[in-house]
Amino acid sequence: SHEHKLKFSKSKEVCLSFIQDAMLQKQWKRAAEFLTFYAESLEKDFSTAHVGPSEMIWRIGSEILYHHSCSSIKEFNSFIQQMKTLGIRRYLKVCLEHAFHLLCNGLIDEAYENLSLAESWRFGEETAIQDKEMKLIQAYRGLLDYHSWSKQKNILLEHGHDGFEDFSVEQEMHSCFRKAAVNLKEIIKIPGVWDIFVKCYVDLLEFYGDHNEACQVLNEYAYNSKFPANPNAHVYLYQFLKRHGESKKSLISVLKILHDTVPSHELMIDFNIMLQKSKKRKKRRLGLEVIFAALDYVGWKENVKAWNCLARQVKQIVISEKYLDWIKQEWNSRKDWWPAFHFSRYLAKQNWQENESLSHEKALVAGILLGKDCQYFKYVLRQGCKAQVKRFRILKKFVNKHNSVYLRIS
Amino acid sequence: RDTTIRVTALMEEIERLESRRGCRQQHIAPRLRWFSYLCRDWLYEMPLGLLADCVHEEMVLQWANLLFDDSPTGGSLAWLPPKDVGAHTGCLVYPGGQAMNHLYFQNVVLEELPRAQGSPAQFELNGRIRQVAAARVDGEDFVGVRSDYHCGVWRVPGRTGAAPTPLQVIRTSVPATCLTVSPHLPGELSVCTQSGAVYLWNVETGLQRLRHDPQTMYFLDHSPWRWSDFTAHPRVLSCADHTGLQCLDARVSTGGCHFNLFKVGEEAGCQQGERVVLPMYLGKAHPSQHLVTTQFSVYVLDERLPLVPLLKWAHMMKAPPLFAHLTPGGPGRNHKVLLAASHTQELLLLQYQGGSRSACQLVGLPQKLHSFASCLQHLPTQLPHRHHLLQQRLSAPVAGLAATLQEDGPRESLLVFQLSEAGDVFCQRLSHETVETPAPTSDEAAPAPGPAEALRYRRWLKALSKACGEHPQQAWTPALSQRRLFTRRDLETPGDPSPLHSQARQRLRQAMRDGGCIRCWDSPAPQPPVLPQPEETLGTGDPLSSRLTAAWSGDWEQCAPGLPPLSPGPPSVPPQEPSLPRTRPPASPLPDDEDPLSSQNLRCRGIPKERRKTLRDYLSVWAEPP
Repeated sequence: SHEHKLKFSKSKEVCLSFIQDAMLQKQWKRAAEFLTFYAESLEKDFSTAHVGPSEMIWRIGSEILYHHSCSSIKEFNSFIQQMKTLGIRRYLKVCLEHAFHLLCNGLIDEAYENLSLAESWRFGEETAIQDKEMKLIQAYRGLLDYHSWSKQKNILLEHGHDGFEDFSVEQEMHSCFRKAAVNLKEIIKIPGVWDIFVKCYVDLLEFYGDHNEACQVLNEYAYNSKFPANPNAHVYLYQFLKRHGESKKSLISVLKILHDTVPSHELMIDFNIMLQKSKKRKKRRLGLEVIFAALDYVGWKENVKAWNCLARQVKQIVISEKYLDWIKQEWNSRKDWWPAFHFSRYLAKQNWQENESLSHEKALVAGILLGKDCQYFKYVLRQGCKAQVKRFRILKKFVNKHNSVYLRIS
Repeated sequence: RDTTIRVTALMEEIERLESRRGCRQQHIAPRLRWFSYLCRDWLYEMPLGLLADCVHEEMVLQWANLLFDDSPTGGSLAWLPPKDVGAHTGCLVYPGGQAMNHLYFQNVVLEELPRAQGSPAQFELNGRIRQVAAARVDGEDFVGVRSDYHCGVWRVPGRTGAAPTPLQVIRTSVPATCLTVSPHLPGELSVCTQSGAVYLWNVETGLQRLRHDPQTMYFLDHSPWRWSDFTAHPRVLSCADHTGLQCLDARVSTGGCHFNLFKVGEEAGCQQGERVVLPMYLGKAHPSQHLVTTQFSVYVLDERLPLVPLLKWAHMMKAPPLFAHLTPGGPGRNHKVLLAASHTQELLLLQYQGGSRSACQLVGLPQKLHSFASCLQHLPTQLPHRHHLLQQRLSAPVAGLAATLQEDGPRESLLVFQLSEAGDVFCQRLSHETVETPAPTSDEAAPAPGPAEALRYRRWLKALSKACGEHPQQAWTPALSQRRLFTRRDLETPGDPSPLHSQARQRLRQAMRDGGCIRCWDSPAPQPPVLPQPEETLGTGDPLSSRLTAAWSGDWEQCAPGLPPLSPGPPSVPPQEPSLPRTRPPASPLPDDEDPLSSQNLRCRGIPKERRKTLRDYLSVWAEPP
């Protein structure tokens, strides 16, 4: 009856909250006991909830078995076998998580076997979700293939020096490569974030000298608009191009796109150095823009390298007395908040105490941009002169000489 | 009491008036008069239609608030850590007072048991405080305080023990929903209002509007709740509603540059009906990380890789987590995130690591911490009424959450502060145990509090019972309860129909089938007229009196089984004063000399003519002694 159903679902809920309570307090035994009661809820599963009782039992059960002091891997395996048959739609998901669990326990071969078994499973009409899950299973198997490939490769490389060649190892290594490559290639065609798979696949291709394919894969991963914007994709492409000695121009074009998407990326220092060295005016201009933009971010506040890059470029421009308008343009959008963000008296004190070189670079930039009366510059200079450090005296001379710049840019 | 009128009774009276419409006779309803007297200052000045609209609107609002109230989002408790390294005096900022409109800055010394130092600095505000947010910039603390129509900012200077100074107050025409303090620039805050506006508020340069859009961002959601927080770039703000998060660039004028950070939808694997409840910038853990909580899950996002969450965990809390607190872990250590819900008092601790060099992942197991209502069982037993009072006080919803890491030599612990809506601040300590597990475990489970705790508890309890004796009214806001508006019977779903009902229905159906008319079927026997209680018999041995008594009360046969009744059923004498035979003085007011059985007498009692004789005969039988 309706009332019975209500009562049943209520007690089911209460039971679930008890389990949850026990788990959140690490009382695994208590949780396990309640779970055995909860299993009754499978009998009359009327729920239309997002996560049904059978999925609950699977998730909670594997979590409990993972932490329970008396559980063994054998028990876990038999539990998972039951779970696989409990929900056909979830079969692949359960298999995948089972493999992860085995991997966490260092059972790589068992995990591999499990994944292979799951791969041969078929049920009814293939749905889109099932298809995607199958691809994931294959990809992870590919990853394990890659793992054994790289192990064998290392053996061969080690023994290769001895002039010893083992054909069977080499044979197996190649077969691992083929298996891995086929599966990895499939998954990275689907839009998504596949950093680990892409890296392994590119490594395989590079080892066998297939640079074109590798380059194509990385380009596709970085520039296909169907994929989510992923800064790592550009980083992998940049690293690949750099490894293969590609031209500066193509490196710069990759980093330019990275700069547009993530101006705070660590590679922006390399980018700035590359641009500063360039003979083209436009690129040097871009370099200034890049380093200013990077220093906008809070993560770069105390980065000596970055401040050094900016100080060097600003110094260059001031000495040459050309392109002061570049600085002016960059400074224009920042003059209302950089003084409080970078050049406060508090920061001067802190930087001086923690990192003398940082305070030197920053003081130079502050002196040029804000004039010699700026608090940051004044404090650091006074401390530097007190400590009789030579570079601060040079700094003082330089800023005094070019004090007019500050008037021209503001 | 004099100023309270029950709406149910009022409604009933109004209904009665309606049915009496057109009736000449004046009818006075004192309750209605009292109501109009009480409301005389506004009732007649306002067009009734407009008033009704307003009342209706307010009730809809109150109803929505009963279901889910997002106004306390963010929490109204802040901890300002000690100024110098190694110092032990921090400051708690929280609201208090009857209307929660007093702002307190209480210095707290972190010892074995945190101890309040001196009396708190106090500010009276003209609104209930909804949120207190704080951030430290350049060694100074900036404290933002939000009430419905006002937002204020205080500065607490760097020197230990320096008094807080109010800096600026802004007024909004619609309620503000969010106030966050910039961790990057001194005196900078962000404000959101229910009209969908997001402002960057600088104490020196004033307000800058970054967006004004009453519509939600990704799909239609009716809630006017908005939130905003800071990001890794001091000029870029995140802006949220229940459907997701966007990043807005303050350097570009309104409606310009923005990018999507989080969307309730497929990319994040969201459930149906999932809504953003609280976003938080996790800058102290990693410059580009953000936390987003929904009623089902917790997400960690990176603004460099938008839309795809780095971490997702289903928290399974019963109420949506309205409060969150981050304790950054420093290099090589886990970041600790506390999540708390308001009404259920749930409190969860989760730890995660990674984000820059390694993948983001949860470390250890999420842990449930004790709610303050659950500590009642560990406290000494009280008298029942005190126990009840205590129970009520301790079950108040959570209003704020704060935490601090206390390092005491090698021993390290996490102090968790919670503010209840009744204005109490609770504290629990989680000690780090290196031996057993890397995760800190709670030592609050000790069965009895220590002597210091017990002393403080007694003091608090004393103050509490004293305060409650003086003001029996509760300090927290009155909630609109539906029980007041509708009686229980109104809300009750009709139970199973009685057999009479079904019988009636069946007959109706039958009548309709036959095309006949509906007869007055066997109605339940008309209730017998209420009989007057028989006079107490004085002489118990008098059989006549006892028989007569039995006859009056209707169980005649029981008393005289041998005698056949004269009329079918009990005698239908009109239930007036019992006219007793002469053996006993009649209790009737009738004069003694008049024959009670005379025609005139019987007629005036309404006994029909044909019955009078029967009655007379009947009673005369009993007049003779047996």
